[in-house]
Amino acid sequence: MARDGHERVIIIGILALQGAFAEHQTALQRLSLNRTIDTIFVRTAEDLDRCDALIIPGGESTTIALLARLSGVLEPLKLFVKTKPVWGTCAGAILLSQAVEGAKKGGQELLGAMSITIARNGWGSQVESFEADLQVPGLRDPVVPFTGIFIRAPVILALTPTPSDHSIIVVAHLSPDLLPSALSSPDHSAEPRTYVAVRQGLHFLTTFHPELTNDDRFHDYFVRECVLPLFVGVS
Amino acid sequence: MTTPAVTPSVQTPPLPQGAGGGAVPSTAPARSGQRDGGGSLGTFGVKSGLAQMLKGGVIMDVVNAEQARIAEEAGACAVMALERVPADIRAEGGVARMSDPQMIKEIVDAVTIPVMAKVRIGHFVEAQILQVIGVDYIDESEVLTPADDEHHINKHGFKVPFVCGARDLGEALRRISEGAAMIRTKGEAGTGNVVEAVRHQRAVMSQIRRASVMNEEELYVFAKEIQAPFHLLKETARLKRLPVVNFAAGGLATPADAALMMQLGCDGVFVGSGIFHSGDPAKRARAIVQAVTHYNNPKILAEVSENLGAAMVGLTIDADLKGGHLAKRGW
Repeated sequence: MARDGHERVIIIGILALQGAFAEHQTALQRLSLNRTIDTIFVRTAEDLDRCDALIIPGGESTTIALLARLSGVLEPLKLFVKTKPVWGTCAGAILLSQAVEGAKKGGQELLGAMSITIARNGWGSQVESFEADLQVPGLRDPVVPFTGIFIRAPVILALTPTPSDHSIIVVAHLSPDLLPSALSSPDHSAEPRTYVAVRQGLHFLTTFHPELTNDDRFHDYFVRECVLPLFVGVS
Repeated sequence: MTTPAVTPSVQTPPLPQGAGGGAVPSTAPARSGQRDGGGSLGTFGVKSGLAQMLKGGVIMDVVNAEQARIAEEAGACAVMALERVPADIRAEGGVARMSDPQMIKEIVDAVTIPVMAKVRIGHFVEAQILQVIGVDYIDESEVLTPADDEHHINKHGFKVPFVCGARDLGEALRRISEGAAMIRTKGEAGTGNVVEAVRHQRAVMSQIRRASVMNEEELYVFAKEIQAPFHLLKETARLKRLPVVNFAAGGLATPADAALMMQLGCDGVFVGSGIFHSGDPAKRARAIVQAVTHYNNPKILAEVSENLGAAMVGLTIDADLKGGHLAKRGW
């Protein structure tokens, strides 16, 4: 695996069971980094074995979870998320959460890597999907707003870390004016609903779709903040 | 038939893209509504973006909430709500129209995945009705009886996105010019015969390959020849793929049919009559879902193709085809 004689190539997998996985690969390939990364599409447990980190793309969370089970990747994924960096966008964010509201009848499978309760499809049908500018201090060029594309997006209802869990960092907020008015959970405070990008340890989720823009700053953020630090001094 | 007016509906970034199955370029926002607090609703970005989320998935025709639940459990990424599947429209004849909104709402309530519904070609009032009841995507479909034999719906004015059928590149680009955020092959719906879908997908891909090596003078002539807006043809030639998501539809009945269309460069598939007109719909639906994910893996395709029970009875496509040649509808 050695390239340039010493540094190992870091492999970032993109779960490619269903959804917008190709767009994530295109964005990762545009990054300019001081480490060589390679990207692979993950459809089997063998593919996943090769990965140092993983992106779970947008798509339909019910479809992705079923295909993961039928393809024998679901259990390996549950193990993978315990120790490796993972970023979930939209459907991927739902899969990373511990609990979901608005699941399909009979419930749906989750990976449960992040201490978050999330509601599917928080704004309603597709006609409520929207774009909104986000101010994100943690990104490169933080004064430039990031165009968040929210498509039948989920809403974070609550952060539920226990004292032994990694703390949760809120990376991006949505203006409260843009929140859906009717969400069926009066027992949660409204504040977490404005969170649209959060990080907990090696795990990162966004309820919107950075991969649908030409702006790679969230991909850059994930790789620099969650992945590369694990490889400092590792050859 | 005239070439539609040139409107810059799709702007794409300077990225090389592979044909079919690859990344779809992002689009500049064309705003059609504002949410309080500054969000933009109904942009082309969110319309084409939902299609991008459907990629690698199977969209299944369903006629009631029970079938919709079977489809969701089988891994459908969306369902198409309609009163009669194409095979029944073909068999029964008569004018086929938009479905009863009450039936569509029952399906919306039954599942968590996106719900699509069909309107007749050119029937913009049926589209207004579907938008207001909250469907996630509208199919302006040749499977229903056309309401206008000259005009398609101006789809730019709607917040809800549209998918349209196409037999070749010119037709696909005319629909995109009118605001379609997703394209599908027409195929020949309700036949269980994939030959027309293959013909349409091969036509689109072959024309894209030809355009991709043309210089600008040649592209002007080619645009005239295929009756496509020049700016969209030029963009398609540069991207080497359609600028929006492109699904297969019309006559797919087996996992192998679905994988065939994926290998021919489609981004996902619609299956209409092929599922609920087969012996074991739940099992066949699940197998087709797996076939679309693993379309390049013949070993998995062999496994999922086993013991599916009877496929729908197919029809040969000839001059006497009962119910006529639906793919000829659309202008």
